[in-house]
Amino acid sequence: MTEIFRNMWRRKFRTLLTIFGIVIGIFAFTVMGSMALKLNKMIDGGKKYVTGQITVSPKGSSGYGTATGTLPIDTLNKISQIDGVDQVGALASLLVEEPDLDNASISMSEPPSIYGADNKSKFKNRNWETMTMKSGKMLDDKSADDEIVIGINIATDKKLSVGDTYKIRGRDFKVVGIIEKTMTGPDSYVFMSITPAREMLIESNPFMKSLYASGKLKIEDVNSMAGVTWKDGADSEKVSAAIKDQFGKDVTVMSPVKMGELIDKASATMNAIILGSALLALIVGLFSIVNTMVMSVSERTKEIGIKKAIGASPSSIAFEYTLEAGIIGLVGGAIGMGVGVLVANVINAKMADKGAEIFLIEPNFLIGVLIFSFVVGIIAGVIPAIRASKLNVVDAVREL
Amino acid sequence: MKNEQIVVKATGLQKTYKMSKHNIVTALRGVDIEVRKGDFSAIIGPSGCGKSTLMHILGLLDRPDEGAIIIDGVDMTKLKEKKAYKMRAKKIGFIFQGFNLIPTLTAFENVILAGKYGGMKTAARKKRAEELLDLLGLKERINHKPNELSGGQQQRVAIARALMNDPAIILADEPTGELDSKTSLEIMSILKKLNREENMTFLIVTHNMDVANDCKKIIRLKDGKNA
Repeated sequence: MTEIFRNMWRRKFRTLLTIFGIVIGIFAFTVMGSMALKLNKMIDGGKKYVTGQITVSPKGSSGYGTATGTLPIDTLNKISQIDGVDQVGALASLLVEEPDLDNASISMSEPPSIYGADNKSKFKNRNWETMTMKSGKMLDDKSADDEIVIGINIATDKKLSVGDTYKIRGRDFKVVGIIEKTMTGPDSYVFMSITPAREMLIESNPFMKSLYASGKLKIEDVNSMAGVTWKDGADSEKVSAAIKDQFGKDVTVMSPVKMGELIDKASATMNAIILGSALLALIVGLFSIVNTMVMSVSERTKEIGIKKAIGASPSSIAFEYTLEAGIIGLVGGAIGMGVGVLVANVINAKMADKGAEIFLIEPNFLIGVLIFSFVVGIIAGVIPAIRASKLNVVDAVREL
Repeated sequence: MKNEQIVVKATGLQKTYKMSKHNIVTALRGVDIEVRKGDFSAIIGPSGCGKSTLMHILGLLDRPDEGAIIIDGVDMTKLKEKKAYKMRAKKIGFIFQGFNLIPTLTAFENVILAGKYGGMKTAARKKRAEELLDLLGLKERINHKPNELSGGQQQRVAIARALMNDPAIILADEPTGELDSKTSLEIMSILKKLNREENMTFLIVTHNMDVANDCKKIIRLKDGKNA
């Protein structure tokens, strides 16, 4: 073992350059992988949510958050009469802050959003019935209209604790609960009663505002989307189809299965990114190690000859060189991973203020990266090692 | 004679090398050689007579085209390279002209390495390596790397390495070739002492007549044959 390190150290500059090549590859792998993990985690959370209900939104809206249309309460009531439907939960959602298009930035996380739900409704997402609270309590049917529960990112960003007042769009709200970190959507959500959310939604839209002022729009019709649950034993897809049959002209129906599939496609893209960056790291690393090891073998022809002459088995020679390559891979991998984790943490710390951590650093992933870099080294070492082990002793000894 | 056990017996060794399509070199044309336990023999002959080839074949580094080799009672003629390394580790000790120590290893580690290849246990090989280096007067230099040792010291490390597995025979290829005459005498006296006191068997390839005359027996080669 010490011999391997001494051999590596013999050609310091070359070894360092090779290691540097691996460092870059593994750095990219760590950073890309952590980013993909974070995205996957968010997607998973979203998937859990959307597959736990049938999501109904007004035609012409982009789905979540940015509603341009509304779902009249009448429609929702009719939906609740459809065979197989259990509960319908209306939701009024909008962004906490009006998006500033002049300073648009690309964010990996969802922007802070308000979710106003009817606290008296019996509607519960089938997959996500309760939230784990970090402090305080969740809103319930006794909650007042000025009480809110916030996600951990908002709490951290605005330095809010239970009992504090949080001003949203000019209104004062009292924080009654903070949700434990979920690593997904709810971390940047504000949950409140539906009435203030509806009011703010109207405020934010000049068109709705004028309709409301003229009495043509009733407040209970301001619903940006609704969740529909199905009765036990009912088929979510059949229920979705029935809603679509009757209200397809007015609403977009997203069935759990369809949404699940859409999300899986997105996950597949994420995984392709991980795999792609891994492949890149593999190729860069592989070739630089192969090159270094081939050179080492030809430089050490004489030594290999001596070792064989004094009785080294071909496999022990091959093992030595494979291990050396593996260690180069591992050292480069460890450094690259370290730098990657450092960079990810620094960026996360900067972004945490905005509640938008980009990277999810998982110990299992890091261990995987280390094993991966070692394996890359081993693979790269195999061909040079076999060449070394097959070296003709007489030819090698003649060089003596 | 006290020791009559045959250590190496080779008969009718032939070897040709194909250097290129039209350049075929015949190195050995039927060499017979017999080495008995406790022999201290020199192989001499002009350059190109096949000394080195014979040495490589007897050391199982190369295979003859024709002929038979028996070492320590084991027929090595048909031995495959896959198994040859074990025989090399256990039965044969090599001493080369250029010392040929592994430059990244200390004197001690170089000697230990041979024990490892010979299948000795860790504790046993450490003990034996220490004893051998002590015997060869290198106790103080045990943790030095080859480039920190003089030529004579390096060759003594190489001798210790050759002795490590208590081989049936030690093959020495020009063991004094790179040493000054004083150091050459020193190395030769060590080899003679090992032969005399430990009954070690030596076969020394040389073109140095002083070295050859120091040996008990001289085997002459000429044009790939016994002369």
